[in-house]
Amino acid sequence: MRRRSPSFPATARTPLAVLGVAATLLVAGCSSGSGQGGSSATGGTPQQGGSVTFALPPNATPNWIFPLGTPGHLAGYNSAIRQNVFLPLYAYNGSSGTVAMDEKAGAAKAPVYSNGGKTVTITLKDGLTWANGQKVTTRDVEFWFNLAKANKAQWGNYSKGDLPDNVAKFTTVNDTTFKLDLTKAYNPEWFTANQLTYVTPMPQSAWDVEDASGKVGDYDRTTDGAKKVFKYLIGEAGKLSEYASNPLWKVADGPFTVKEFTTTGQVTLAKNAKYTGDDAAHLDAVTFKPFTSAQAEFNVLRSGGVDYGYLPALAVSQQKTIENSGYQVKPWNGWAITYIPYNFNNPEMGAVFKQLYIRQAVQMSIDQATISRVIWHDQAAPGYGPVPQQPVSKYLSQDQKNNPYPYDVNKAKALLTSHGWTIAGNIASCTKPGTGADQCGAGIKAGTQLKFSLLTESGSTETDNTMQELQSSLSKIGIALSIKSEPLNSVLDHSPECKPNQSTCSWQLSFFGTQGSWYFPAYPSGEQIFATDGGTNLGSYSDPTADKLVKESTSSSDPQAMQQYSSYLAKQLPVIWMPNPAYQVSAIRNNLRGVVQDPLAFMQPQRWYLAK
Amino acid sequence: MTVSAPLMTEQAPATTAAGPYRRMVRMFLANRLAVTGLVILGLLLVFCFIGPLIHHTDQVHTQLADATLSPGTRGHLLGTDDVGRDVLGRLMVGGQTSLEIGIAAGLLATLIGTVWGAISGYAGGWIDAVMMRVVDAGIAIPALFLLLVTATILRPTVPVQILIIGCVSWLVPARLVRAEALSLRSRDYVQAMKAMGGGHGRAVFRHVIPNAIGTVVVNATFQVADAILLIAYVSFLGLGVAPPKTDWGGMLSKGISYTSEGYWWLIFPAGLAIVLVVCAFNCIGDGLRDAFEVRLQGR
Repeated sequence: MRRRSPSFPATARTPLAVLGVAATLLVAGCSSGSGQGGSSATGGTPQQGGSVTFALPPNATPNWIFPLGTPGHLAGYNSAIRQNVFLPLYAYNGSSGTVAMDEKAGAAKAPVYSNGGKTVTITLKDGLTWANGQKVTTRDVEFWFNLAKANKAQWGNYSKGDLPDNVAKFTTVNDTTFKLDLTKAYNPEWFTANQLTYVTPMPQSAWDVEDASGKVGDYDRTTDGAKKVFKYLIGEAGKLSEYASNPLWKVADGPFTVKEFTTTGQVTLAKNAKYTGDDAAHLDAVTFKPFTSAQAEFNVLRSGGVDYGYLPALAVSQQKTIENSGYQVKPWNGWAITYIPYNFNNPEMGAVFKQLYIRQAVQMSIDQATISRVIWHDQAAPGYGPVPQQPVSKYLSQDQKNNPYPYDVNKAKALLTSHGWTIAGNIASCTKPGTGADQCGAGIKAGTQLKFSLLTESGSTETDNTMQELQSSLSKIGIALSIKSEPLNSVLDHSPECKPNQSTCSWQLSFFGTQGSWYFPAYPSGEQIFATDGGTNLGSYSDPTADKLVKESTSSSDPQAMQQYSSYLAKQLPVIWMPNPAYQVSAIRNNLRGVVQDPLAFMQPQRWYLAK
Repeated sequence: MTVSAPLMTEQAPATTAAGPYRRMVRMFLANRLAVTGLVILGLLLVFCFIGPLIHHTDQVHTQLADATLSPGTRGHLLGTDDVGRDVLGRLMVGGQTSLEIGIAAGLLATLIGTVWGAISGYAGGWIDAVMMRVVDAGIAIPALFLLLVTATILRPTVPVQILIIGCVSWLVPARLVRAEALSLRSRDYVQAMKAMGGGHGRAVFRHVIPNAIGTVVVNATFQVADAILLIAYVSFLGLGVAPPKTDWGGMLSKGISYTSEGYWWLIFPAGLAIVLVVCAFNCIGDGLRDAFEVRLQGR
């Protein structure tokens, strides 16, 4: 399963877990705002030292720090915290205004691809050492690969065919350089952003042991040995209360070390005095504080108990109050898209959904700009295609950016009436069945009425209102929409990928995007959600051209591949594109500077500082 | 004798069929709170069902351009809600749903509870024991929990809500009627009917239930009030009727979201309506209880 979003788990991710999608997918993408809105103010005279309290999302309790996560330990906040202790090979963030590699936050220099994209040569940064004084070497990377390969079935991020399966050979060139021979040519951008970001050098000189009393060896170089080492390490990783005292976890190469890690989820990272990289922490300590609910967090925020918290959706109106309390309020937008999938296999409406003109009419009935402004109070941004539109990236096509189907109810209505639908009593009925240009389309019988049912997640006034607006707009073009609200997990449970003859295929439309429907890794390809065999292609969308473009986007190094994919799907409408809400609305204390609200939901607390 | 006979004759009409009803009406009217409740209920019924014929509003389509207008703006007496619908009109439409569901569910619960309790009390023995254990078990499960589970499984339309609330609210009336039936089944007229060959069905439906009608009617008013509150709870939790329909509980729930923005018109009208209708039914229930209480009729 591919990591969906490298970030904090939000409710949005949870649902995916329900679907059986890798828990990683669940991660929430916290995100941030476009480059423009994402970062808090810099400036002021940096004060060395000090501590900051960061509020974790509701019910988010970190429970893992070992770089290879097992199922149940893949939540985004785990990796967000871990990356500050054990540096990944590569990290990405949106601090530059677009999602790009964050070279300072990684352990290696930019990779070099050769042999037509089948070989990648990687050189580790000079001078990086572990806290025990040992250099970070290629042996530490090999150690990660050996453990991942021997224990891939237990590695929660494993997806068949992906890492480590797609690495045919690991070759050590010297202490700082190694080569990976890949099984086939991959798009370098995709491979680096979506595969190599998983790789984290691990201190082989301290961790390559089979039990607590054993000596360090090269056990990882045999499959049996690697299994024993992995078993020992994940056993130790399960002892949360020992994270701060276990010598294993003190061998860090990141800017922080673990000072506190409670079983209830409170984590305190302290500045790593032995860090030798070029991204040292300003703060002495950062505490990640868990909360059982957004309201509980908000109460603490109002009392000034956290330095970096968030406002529940319903409390966004209290922005001024919070600002007057010494915080700046900023949306944290995600590298995500929000949509409503059509169930193309639904026995009643599947044939209707398969008609592009119907999908066009539906899309043209959605006034995304007004919904974003009025209902979401500008905490959501219109989205017109499969590539995240905030921050703007080179993957975004002009077609998607310019909205190929602008809001136009009259045009939408005309599309239906020109294809054999007659609107009477506010409901359109097919009066010209057939496959001609002015007929309803294949599989649609005479008398078929445009009555759709929509499952939507409950608990959000903004979502409720958006669905009511959708219902209202669609009624103007003769489509009756019945809405049923359910808790998020129920919505996902009730809208699985299905075959027409299955009882689970009764759902027609499903919305689970109050915090965004799908969070991407740095490279926003759509093989999981829009390819015919995608693991989370809920609506069973299938289009050979889309499949071809998706494949090209992950294997070709042609920079146009993603834009072609973006353009095609923006026009083909595999789903109803909806405004993409912010992951959270953050409240950041005024004197806390250097904060970048990374759209990928990672954090760089080493760059935070308190201004004098 | 000659004097007393006419007196007896004059007193006779007091025991005719019209007499007790007149005394009941008199007792009811003597209860000012009950009369107030009746008036309030009447006004609310007129407001909800006649009001939309006078105050025409579009409660189907949203008007985002008119969202959260304050009262008095652009002809909206009570302002607009967060998707631009007229709040006054919405209050009328929401009231229809609340009253329809409340009254129908209350009556359904009363009907089921009355029949169940009457049969149980009249039959006695193991049948009574089994039927009452079912009631005990049902009471042990929170109605709100059952409602939430069912509302998640089924699409919450008005008939479904009536059915669900009716089916989870009949337990208390069943207990009350069963207690009445235990007493009524040993009355002479029931025994006489049975001695003359009358069946159990006749005993229950022609004698037990009619003679427990005072308890049943009074309880029915409370059931209606409880049902309206229950709908409000469910709607407050986001599982009320599907939009564009609404009910007062749903309106209140939505309005609460905007407390901090000061949109009082999204909160107070719906809240006040719920309080008024529940109080009205409770007052009417009190009045009916007095009216059916024989000991008070002689005052």
